[in-house]
Amino acid sequence: MADIQPPVEEIRALVGHEFPGGKYTVAHWENFLLTECTGSEPLPDGLVHPVVLFHMPILGANTSIGGMFALGQAESDFSIGIESYDWEIERPLHEDVEYTVTGRVTEADRMEGPRRNDRPGVYDRIQFRFELHEPGGDFAASSTITWTYRRSAA
Amino acid sequence: MNVQVGDSIPDWVMESVRPERMRTMAAILRDPNPVHWDRKAVAALPFGIGERTINQGPLGLSYMLNMLMDWAGPTSVRRVTVRFPKVVLDGDHVTAGGRVTAIREEDGVRLADCDIWLSREGESPSLEGTATVALPES
Repeated sequence: MADIQPPVEEIRALVGHEFPGGKYTVAHWENFLLTECTGSEPLPDGLVHPVVLFHMPILGANTSIGGMFALGQAESDFSIGIESYDWEIERPLHEDVEYTVTGRVTEADRMEGPRRNDRPGVYDRIQFRFELHEPGGDFAASSTITWTYRRSAA
Repeated sequence: MNVQVGDSIPDWVMESVRPERMRTMAAILRDPNPVHWDRKAVAALPFGIGERTINQGPLGLSYMLNMLMDWAGPTSVRRVTVRFPKVVLDGDHVTAGGRVTAIREEDGVRLADCDIWLSREGESPSLEGTATVALPES
């Protein structure tokens, strides 16, 4: 597969990009299956397993993993690397509560050097921040995702 | 809960990372990346890991969350920040561990800051980071 290297100006211009935003409610079945995947027993009192903080903000902001790959002009699914995830939980999340979700790009720039488990080369580092608010407007949680998009071999 | 700086958090063990859980997770996440569900696609990559699917980063992180919640309670986790130096593969036996690095109080809540990690036995961490956990009263 050919390496693609979009102009760095296009990558830097992603900072400030806002996703449409929206609402997301975690149903019991979704929480049950999600929690089972983690190897944990269901949590009490309708608590949602905090691992939901990966996909719930993304889908709730009306984007998708594939959409975020495309936004950064990923060469392919295989060219994406995870730098870090940073999740803050101000209030535990519950099933059947409709959360309001916003999301935007907070950092985007071109880097050069070794990436995790990978050959050295050029890659773009893009950071996304999502926020969840309860129906009354109180801040509930946030998710900051930092991915790298490989562009070329050294 | 009597916790002191330097205390170890009890380990949480995933005996074998199961590929069918990765497939369920991929469906829930709407994650199109075949590295999580197509062994032949992984084998075709120049990673040298054979026909073993790659665990989703959030799933590895979830083992560390399970460790924290088993230790301090299901609503205890306030923040996790995790990096991913290595991948976790289907069939891996991994252990989540942690250690308390600081104890402080914020808005009347006693918080423990911790280093956390997820490792295959005898290896450097596949995932590593920090966590802040609210400690129960007793």
